[in-house]
Amino acid sequence: MNQNKSGIRRYGFLVRLLVLSVLGVVISLPFVWMVSASFKPRAEVENINLVPIHPTARNYPIVLSIVPDPGTGKFVPMQFGRWYFNSVFIAVGTTLFQVLTSALAAFAFSRLQWRGRDTVFLMYLATMMIPGVVLMIPNYQTMVLFHFINTYHGLIIPAAFSAFGTFLLRQFMLSISPALDEAATIDGASPWMIFWDIIMPLARPGVIALTIITFLGAYQSFFWPLIMLSDSQLYPMSVGMLTLDSSYGQQTELIMAATVMNVVPLIVIFVTCQKFLVSGLQLGGVKG
Amino acid sequence: MGVNAVGNPLTNGRNIEVSNSKGRRNVRARRQTLIAIAFLLPNLLGFLAFTFLPVIFSFWMSFTNWSLKPAVKFEYVGLRNFIDLIGVHAIGRGDPDVLFIYVLSIIGFLGAGIGALWGNIADWKGTRLSSIIVGIAGLGFVVAGLVHLSDGLVLGGLVALICGVAGGFKDSEFSIGYGVLPGAILALTAAGLWCFQPAMAANYAPNDNYFYFYLYNTCYLMLGIPVSIGGSLAMAMLLNEELPTGPARERAIGGITCLALGLFLGGLLWALGKPDAGLICVIFWIVAALGISFNVVVYRTLFYLPTFTAGVALMILWMALYNPKTGPIDVGLAAIFGFFHIHATPPQWLADVAWAKSAMIIMGVWTGIGGTNMLLYLAGLSNVPKELIDAANVDGAGALDRFRHVTWPQLAPTTFFISIMSIIGGLQGGFDQARVMTQGGPAGSTTTLAYYIYQKAFSELDMGYAAAISWVLFLIVFVATAINWKFGKGLDSE
Repeated sequence: MNQNKSGIRRYGFLVRLLVLSVLGVVISLPFVWMVSASFKPRAEVENINLVPIHPTARNYPIVLSIVPDPGTGKFVPMQFGRWYFNSVFIAVGTTLFQVLTSALAAFAFSRLQWRGRDTVFLMYLATMMIPGVVLMIPNYQTMVLFHFINTYHGLIIPAAFSAFGTFLLRQFMLSISPALDEAATIDGASPWMIFWDIIMPLARPGVIALTIITFLGAYQSFFWPLIMLSDSQLYPMSVGMLTLDSSYGQQTELIMAATVMNVVPLIVIFVTCQKFLVSGLQLGGVKG
Repeated sequence: MGVNAVGNPLTNGRNIEVSNSKGRRNVRARRQTLIAIAFLLPNLLGFLAFTFLPVIFSFWMSFTNWSLKPAVKFEYVGLRNFIDLIGVHAIGRGDPDVLFIYVLSIIGFLGAGIGALWGNIADWKGTRLSSIIVGIAGLGFVVAGLVHLSDGLVLGGLVALICGVAGGFKDSEFSIGYGVLPGAILALTAAGLWCFQPAMAANYAPNDNYFYFYLYNTCYLMLGIPVSIGGSLAMAMLLNEELPTGPARERAIGGITCLALGLFLGGLLWALGKPDAGLICVIFWIVAALGISFNVVVYRTLFYLPTFTAGVALMILWMALYNPKTGPIDVGLAAIFGFFHIHATPPQWLADVAWAKSAMIIMGVWTGIGGTNMLLYLAGLSNVPKELIDAANVDGAGALDRFRHVTWPQLAPTTFFISIMSIIGGLQGGFDQARVMTQGGPAGSTTTLAYYIYQKAFSELDMGYAAAISWVLFLIVFVATAINWKFGKGLDSE
């Protein structure tokens, strides 16, 4: 009987392993094709074979404008390095500001007692329901007013405040025992010390999760840079990729080389940080 | 308070003490508030400047003809933007009866939908009410169909009427149809509305030719949501329990064996002149080897990858995949068709009006299926009490029963949250795909409301009108959320 049950268990395990592995392969197939196409010479890119018959790494230097495109003899007009830098710079700036302001506000909403606290917080929550498109048009007008069009700060400042981040960190901070700050207050700690030395280290999982979420959102943001920027020097990767499609025409292998360079850093970030991200997302969702 | 107490010499000692301590508390409270404001200030300023005031500004803007074109003179236009957007005007003779019945039918349709949901989820009272609503809607369709001699309407209406009456008797055998009934009724009433469409189109035209079409597109693109949610749940259930891979030594041996086997088989296939099959074989065995060595976390990571990397780059990847001439999907389909001697051309995907939406949906499902929803379901599943499942096992429940009566009700809050978020996202979404992949085409078939707002605001520079659309969109989102909230709560308490 026991043996029988363990047999079923073993059997079920193998089936699950099989199903999961097949799903994993199916989900990763587009990525596999992307990498494969990026290593193909032009003559081969329309064939369905996954393994290039004559693999070449030449597409990468062409996209990076190191060598000229052999078809046209011209350098591809793509500022890949510059766009990379822009994306990372904008994402880091946004993340830094947003995490800091959100943490400060979350501290005020969770650890301090003041009149009207819950009303203001409710207002924050209510605005999370308003679609981004409603805000987009007036925010654009504000940017025009401040002459922020075509600048880095025009991209960073409006994104530096988020109701979602405040909400997420508040949930984390609420789960820290209130006895801690009382004890610290008695020991003569200032509110800033309580915030910086006690609460922030304890809320670290939440802060890390928010950092990853914000960084990713800012790195991938498309809509706002698209309407804010006309100078291709300032484009982040997302908007730059859009011009790439029109300038390359049907040269799939070059487009895929650019896509690989765009996606691979994200995969690396994700595989290293996924533990924090998962717990943060789950907390935000379950308690929300 | 403190000042008052000091200023009154007649107050006795005890009172002074009380007032003083009150005053101290007041001072402390004020201090606390000041500290709180200091902490809140940076965020609050940004919040006011980029969220709160813009909301008000946008609302005001929707009542003006604000435009970035210098030729347009600014003026208040009242409700004109909204009337232009959602109103209809008569063409030809314009039959008020048609308009009246049509609007009534839409209300009946929505009512039937809400009532059916209610009946499906809430208690018996709701069921009866929903049946009455459905019955009335059905009656309305029959009358409308008879007036306009449309047999489709009469048929749909009759079925709705019968369903409504049948649902009104709780213990009738039709009550098994709690899940099937609402779907059938909704489908039939929708068919009825469809039949009524020509009469309406002959007599009235919408003021904005595009709005309803784009609203329809937006809703159509949301058809992927249930598929995606169901897939997420299935994947979460596969990932919920750790794989029983045994102790570290066994895991290592298993992993290395799989890897070696994969490399051997792959190499063999390669040597036999099938490199593609070899590659896929190697990938499969590597995934399995990783799964054995590091357990379910490998699969979770793999499934989440499309969500994490989602963005313009992946959309461009999918454009290449969908390319009718060079993309692997169509090349592969053509090869399959050729192999089986089927005389059909593979779909043109993004270039074809009939397939563009489906292409978007497939891409959306691929991107989202193993994403945040799956993680939320995993968290929800880990909260299902083990005792409940054990108890169900003792009672001899099969896997299906266990899912239906234990897991699914326990997951209701998660499902509720996920569906609200998905619906909100779906109604507001579709901009990036439309902008990157299709420019809203072909023939506007992938333009969603979000993209329409963008077009109006930044191509036609008509900011006031765009603001009006965004507020109508907000209203739709709000109503959808409210309905979801109402019935989700019912789900919650069960």
